[in-house]
Amino acid sequence: MKNSNTSLRAKIAKLSPFGKEPIVSAIIITIVVFLFLFIVYPLYKILSMSVTDGDGRLSFETIRSVLGNKYYLQCLMNSLSLAGAVSVISLFIGYVYAYTITRIDIPFKTFFKMMATLPIISPPFVLSLSMIMLFGRNGLITNGLFGLEDVNIYGFNSLLVVQVMSFFPIAYLTLSGILEAIDPSVEDAALNLGAKRSRIFRTVTLPLSFPGIASALLLVMVQSLQDFSNPMVLGGNFNTLVVQSYVEIIGMYDMKKGAVISIMLLLPTVAAFLLQKYWVSGKSYVTVTGKPSYERPKLNNPLIKWSAFALCSLFTAVIILFYGTVIYGSFVKIWGVNNQFTLENYKYIFTLGSAPVKNTLKLAAYATPIGGLLSMIIAFLVVRKQFIGRRAMEFVSLLSFAIPGTVIGIGYILAFNQKPLLLTGTGLILVMAFIFRNMPVGIESGTATLKQIDKSIEEASTNLGASSFLTFRKITLPLIKSAFFSGLVYAFVRAMTAVSAVILLISPRWNLVTVSILSQVENLRLGIAAAYVIILIIMMMVAIVIIEALVKRLVMKRKAA
Amino acid sequence: MKKSLFRVLSLVVVLILVAAAFAGCAKTEAPAAAEAPPQEAQKPKSDTLTMYSALDEAEILVYLEGFTKATGIKVDYVRLSAGEIMARVTAEKDNPQASIWFGGPSDTHVAAGSAGLLEKYESANIAKIPETYRDKQGFWSPIYVGAIGFACNRGWFEKKNLAYPESWEDLLKPEFVKQISVAHPGSSGTAYTILATMVQLKDEEPAFEYMKKLHKNVIQYTKSGSAPAKNAAIGEAAIGLAFAHDILRIRNSEGYPIELKFPNDGTGYEIGGVSIIKTGIAGEEENARKFIDWITDVEAQELSAVTKSYRLPVNIDSKPPEGAVTLADLKTIDYDNVWAGENRKRLVEKFTADIATTPSN
Repeated sequence: MKNSNTSLRAKIAKLSPFGKEPIVSAIIITIVVFLFLFIVYPLYKILSMSVTDGDGRLSFETIRSVLGNKYYLQCLMNSLSLAGAVSVISLFIGYVYAYTITRIDIPFKTFFKMMATLPIISPPFVLSLSMIMLFGRNGLITNGLFGLEDVNIYGFNSLLVVQVMSFFPIAYLTLSGILEAIDPSVEDAALNLGAKRSRIFRTVTLPLSFPGIASALLLVMVQSLQDFSNPMVLGGNFNTLVVQSYVEIIGMYDMKKGAVISIMLLLPTVAAFLLQKYWVSGKSYVTVTGKPSYERPKLNNPLIKWSAFALCSLFTAVIILFYGTVIYGSFVKIWGVNNQFTLENYKYIFTLGSAPVKNTLKLAAYATPIGGLLSMIIAFLVVRKQFIGRRAMEFVSLLSFAIPGTVIGIGYILAFNQKPLLLTGTGLILVMAFIFRNMPVGIESGTATLKQIDKSIEEASTNLGASSFLTFRKITLPLIKSAFFSGLVYAFVRAMTAVSAVILLISPRWNLVTVSILSQVENLRLGIAAAYVIILIIMMMVAIVIIEALVKRLVMKRKAA
Repeated sequence: MKKSLFRVLSLVVVLILVAAAFAGCAKTEAPAAAEAPPQEAQKPKSDTLTMYSALDEAEILVYLEGFTKATGIKVDYVRLSAGEIMARVTAEKDNPQASIWFGGPSDTHVAAGSAGLLEKYESANIAKIPETYRDKQGFWSPIYVGAIGFACNRGWFEKKNLAYPESWEDLLKPEFVKQISVAHPGSSGTAYTILATMVQLKDEEPAFEYMKKLHKNVIQYTKSGSAPAKNAAIGEAAIGLAFAHDILRIRNSEGYPIELKFPNDGTGYEIGGVSIIKTGIAGEEENARKFIDWITDVEAQELSAVTKSYRLPVNIDSKPPEGAVTLADLKTIDYDNVWAGENRKRLVEKFTADIATTPSN
């Protein structure tokens, strides 16, 4: 009797490696179930559809026909070269921006900060539209300013510009979290020992920001790979895998082929993920150790200061140019043709077109806190806890980010269109899609930041008798607040601006604002589309201020407690 | 020992349940309340109808207002492109989320019909629709037709002082090098109709010869069928190949400066369809039939004058919108729908291999 008890107990201990902390085990199991249900299961549905024939028998015909076609491989190469170029350039700009904001004393810092986040808080195809309006055949700059005719802006270069602009803010946000979290005393110690600023950067700051660099590269690359809207509008003869997958599904009604093509996208993502983990793991980036710290002294060297200022101004000017075009477009009668001032576009939104805005706001409000908190919990578990399937958890939570939205949409329909999991037609399916698709940014910045924080701070808390849960709430969360903040902001803006994933999931009751914008663009009501975008951006700015205030309060309260 | 083991076990179980319930609650709270309207719609014999529509939002509203006024049935709709509706109906096959599919070119309805996604229905009004437009199998009903035309950017032609193209041959003129926008038949039903028209008009080999020559003048093979008309409207191309109603809608209701020209050496046309989705939402089937009866009847057929899209009515008793160019005024070919559907894969592959390797935008 006693024997069987011990063996049972050993078995339980194996199942949950911290029998002492049942709440942690419970949370892990819950998260695993949800990850399985909302990421793995839809993917499995898609996969199994693409490897069976009409009668449900196993068949690799579709995969063979895709792999045997040189054209699709060319699309893969296009996607990869674009993603590679975009992620390197975005990383550079993001780093300069983040370094400047956290380390250098320049004027208009708040303004720069705001401008850098503008691209992520606007629907994805906006920059492409501005690109055409500014640099197209009838463009304000190409034709209006320089009188050029017959320019061709469609292709790799335009995509590079637009994607860098769209995605460098992710790099910036991830890196600023990291750079913020490096304990100032580390850099100061080097300074006091007589090291030059450039040397400190090379030997202290840069190496310590490696986890952030790797995360930023991965995130931007994956974003570029799965970007649909920009290549669709600006691609020209340069075809990417995601667009090709959409063309197969929507144009040729071949869902299987479309699914197989987008699954090809998973290969580079998996490779990048493994590379990143290999590169970063095994080294220590800990600088936050719980010893007293102080406000970071800002760099004041005039040469560095003004060149950083000039660079940031340049990037910001480009952003302002593109968004200025959208503001201008929202106030004219027919964008590009009749430039008479009008308020009609806004009037339309406030009267006829307000329902989708309210819907989107409501769903995003549900998805944001859940997604933001969930991503921090996952980051915490992955970095701090040892359990079976830890790596798998991290990987799976990144997976849905890497798959084209159209495929996610179809996967969700296939998985959740039947009782007991009947979710199609509800708002819940959209909330789930938002949560599980937008978590990775939070998780990545969370894990990157946590790796910088010495475990002993948390251990001290647990040694004093606090549970893991309490420690997470009172110690960890305040320490990673900047990552938490970017996770929340990102979850919110992505929910507000998602297009390709939700277009197959919306229902009469739950129509979303991005789909309305797309439909306005489809009918060339560009003014209304532009006005929608401006209103969305303003709403998101307000939301970010609210989120920032909430996060601050949360952390302050905990510190006081 | 036994006792403590039991305690640990029960604690774990309880906590899992609590955590799961908590997570579940937090996540279901919102939609639970919101789900109410669709559930109401599931009552048998409902007075609602759930629709996927490929028409423009503003047009849909005009039609639905008329339908509700005539029948008292309230319609909930989602607007998607025809290809997206097709993808959605396919994925939702086991439990469709809509009962009727309104608009979109016949080729999508044909594909859905042969994939077993549609319910056959023939309205009494079908007798008043010319036989050439009808579906022989009875899966879908025709609601409008529209001929292929050229959308010409007025400003460009005035500036260059050139004449508008009046025939397919005109499009080959050297002054139009890199000025024509047309969709790729591999990704757009519109573009496939154009290709199939050329093949039926000229025979296969000469048609491909023609497309090859046209290739020199094409600036872009767009992915979406509606893009060429838009490109002509905003000046990204001088000429865009599209259906008349797509061109007129942009010109008439949005005010873009484009001219619509029809080729005088013969042109093809699109038939727009409506169909009932198989085993759609319970209780709505009767309403879906009523909608088809209504939309093929004279009054609804004439609404395209109100929407300014000038989609041409198919019911012979209805008057075409004033000022619209009807198919009778044009030299249209006897477009063979069935043949076009059967040869689609082959012709698209040939086009992709011989003429435009990549669809582009």
